[in-house]
Amino acid sequence: MKNGFTFFLGLFLAVALAWAGIVMGSHVQLGHLAPYFDENEGKAFPERMPGIAAQGQLVYQDLGCAACHTQQVRRPDFGSDKARGWGDRQSVARDYVNQAHVQLGESRVGPDLATFGARPLAVDASRLIQYLYEQHGGMPAYRFLFEERKITGERSANALKAAAPAGYEIIPSHRAVALVAYLQSLNNVYEYPEARPVEPAAAKEGESK
Amino acid sequence: MTTAPQAATAAEVTEIDTSARWPLLLLLGSALLWLVLSGILALVNLVQLHTPELLAGCSAMTYGRSSAIQETAFIYGWAANSGLAVALWLLARLGGAPLRSLNWVVAGTLFWNFALVLGIAGIATGDMTSNAWLHLPAYVLPMLLVAYGTIAVPGVLAWTGRRKEMTFAAQWYAVAALFLFPWLFSIAQMMLVFAPERGVLQALVAGWFVQGAWTLWLAPLALAAAYYLVPKITGRVIPSYDFAQLSFWTLLFVGAWTGGRHLIGGPVPAWVATIAVVSCALLLFHYIVVAVNLRGVFCGGGSTVLKFVAFGLVAYVAGGFLDAYTAMRGVAVHTQFTHFSEGQSQLALNGAFSMLMYGAIYFLAPRITGLAWPSVPLIRAHYAAALTGTIVLVVTLIGAGCVQGHDLNTASIPFADIAGHVRPWLLAATAGQAILLLGNLLLATHLFWLAAAKSAAPAVFDPAPAMEASVS
Ligand code: HEC
Repeated sequence: MKNGFTFFLGLFLAVALAWAGIVMGSHVQLGHLAPYFDENEGKAFPERMPGIAAQGQLVYQDLGCAACHTQQVRRPDFGSDKARGWGDRQSVARDYVNQAHVQLGESRVGPDLATFGARPLAVDASRLIQYLYEQHGGMPAYRFLFEERKITGERSANALKAAAPAGYEIIPSHRAVALVAYLQSLNNVYEYPEARPVEPAAAKEGESK
Repeated sequence: MTTAPQAATAAEVTEIDTSARWPLLLLLGSALLWLVLSGILALVNLVQLHTPELLAGCSAMTYGRSSAIQETAFIYGWAANSGLAVALWLLARLGGAPLRSLNWVVAGTLFWNFALVLGIAGIATGDMTSNAWLHLPAYVLPMLLVAYGTIAVPGVLAWTGRRKEMTFAAQWYAVAALFLFPWLFSIAQMMLVFAPERGVLQALVAGWFVQGAWTLWLAPLALAAAYYLVPKITGRVIPSYDFAQLSFWTLLFVGAWTGGRHLIGGPVPAWVATIAVVSCALLLFHYIVVAVNLRGVFCGGGSTVLKFVAFGLVAYVAGGFLDAYTAMRGVAVHTQFTHFSEGQSQLALNGAFSMLMYGAIYFLAPRITGLAWPSVPLIRAHYAAALTGTIVLVVTLIGAGCVQGHDLNTASIPFADIAGHVRPWLLAATAGQAILLLGNLLLATHLFWLAAAKSAAPAVFDPAPAMEASVS
């Protein structure tokens, strides 16, 4: 401890080694990961997010939806993710290669959303928009994503079925529409070679995926 | 130890303390304002979890944003400001010379807090990034880095230019924290914000940063305080001091490898999680040595400062064991993604870090101002509130997590029912947080009272034990 130089070198190594190990180590393993081209379907998976969905991902990020929702499905034998219908297989690194803002999340106050796009609620955009306007149990209402607008002539086609003052209607903002497009795009279900569901009997192999 | 109190006072407070008075008070004052703000937001967040209507219509205070602001205010506001103040003061005292370039500390503090206000306003208005412990928007990150540097450099100079050849454990921890944070922070900025990695690599960088920021920055700051205060106040040599050095390097070299702790079973290479599990187990050596070294804290003989320190150390060691326990896959499957993890964070942040800082603040403020704390009952009340609040908060969050973990893993229980089962626990946690906030308001008021007092009673210190800390 008396020698200042070795002390600082030690400190520096402490931070550098862990960084090299965890971050660079995974980088070497995953950095080259690319979408998987399926010859039969003639396209690559995961599919690119449409532009509007990419905007929606930013809305999801800046509202902090990840504070209550994860986007990572665990193996069928690790927790009840499969039994809850969140996905038949575990999420793998390739699912996220196209994402600029990965939202794995660390808390499940609400359900996992990694495969939300495949659920009935997601299929009907107008129902999903309506869902965001109202509170559902622990899921807060996001009314500030909507505007109250005066009806001029006909009612707008995208107006919500919600109570508004006479002569007014509730219209989703562009941010709400983008968010819904993003939620609909969440669909990690394609079976990559490395993503075949690990069933309990084969659990050991899953460890080294 | 037979010196009269008056003589001891003269030796106890020197120019080292008084010259740093205003810069350190500025750091501590800002720290406490952030602590109170983060406490208020923590209360709002807990209410929002069981009553989502609260402030749901206000976009700046929607749960996702207000919880990010709460975390940011706690870590970059309270923890950074208070930790820096304590580290600077320790290094000056143990180095045996007044701090140099104190103007830089003042400028850095103002700049740091200005950037933080800007960053938090950014989060509230939609510029938040989704990285844990790094929600701050890109535009304030370089400012924070520069500001940190200007505050920390005098501390590092106090160490390299120390008058005494011998060094103490408190110094190692303080210098490590001052020196390492800029590295962690700048790498994390680069790899997450300015030239972001793609895909799950982001989550790995974020995990490394969070664990690094705890084990290489906040925990060392807190331990520096503990390793200084315990021998200083009890007047006893640190037992088994030979191990302290090994324990220090264990924390530093193993700490950040626990970065995959929250990614167990996630879409990342499985070895990352395995290494995290092993590292959490290796760190137990560090926790045991800390416990052995500082067990003298329980012979404090009525010192209020040591009561805070004792609680902080128990929380620190208990937190380490809990981390190791929940890192095991069989346990993680239940506790992951639940309030249990939040309980663990609160144990570390409020239980260990904050308690050790409170102890240090009660010790150093009279020395830098030369004035006694205006009210002893107020200190006792703060202690009672901090103790009760933290215990209630941590225990109920862990309880909530156990219920939630069980329910989540029982696929037949719908989310509406989970919310119902967890609700009583969260209500109790809200009460705990309210008590904690009340206590912190007392501390903040008390510090401002002390700083404003001009002709209050000058501090009289107990005869100080001769040694600065234990001899190495
Ligand atoms: C305070 C925590 C919380 C926050 C913040 C939150 N949610 Fe939720 N969310 C929930 C809960 C709880 C549910 C389950 C509600 C129920 O079914 O009882 C839910 C359900 C959902 C569902 C329906 C899922 C399904 O499969 O039924 C979607 C979609 C959703 N949330 C999207 C979002 C989006 C988008 C955001 C951010 C704008 C968000 N949530 C923010 C807690 C939250």
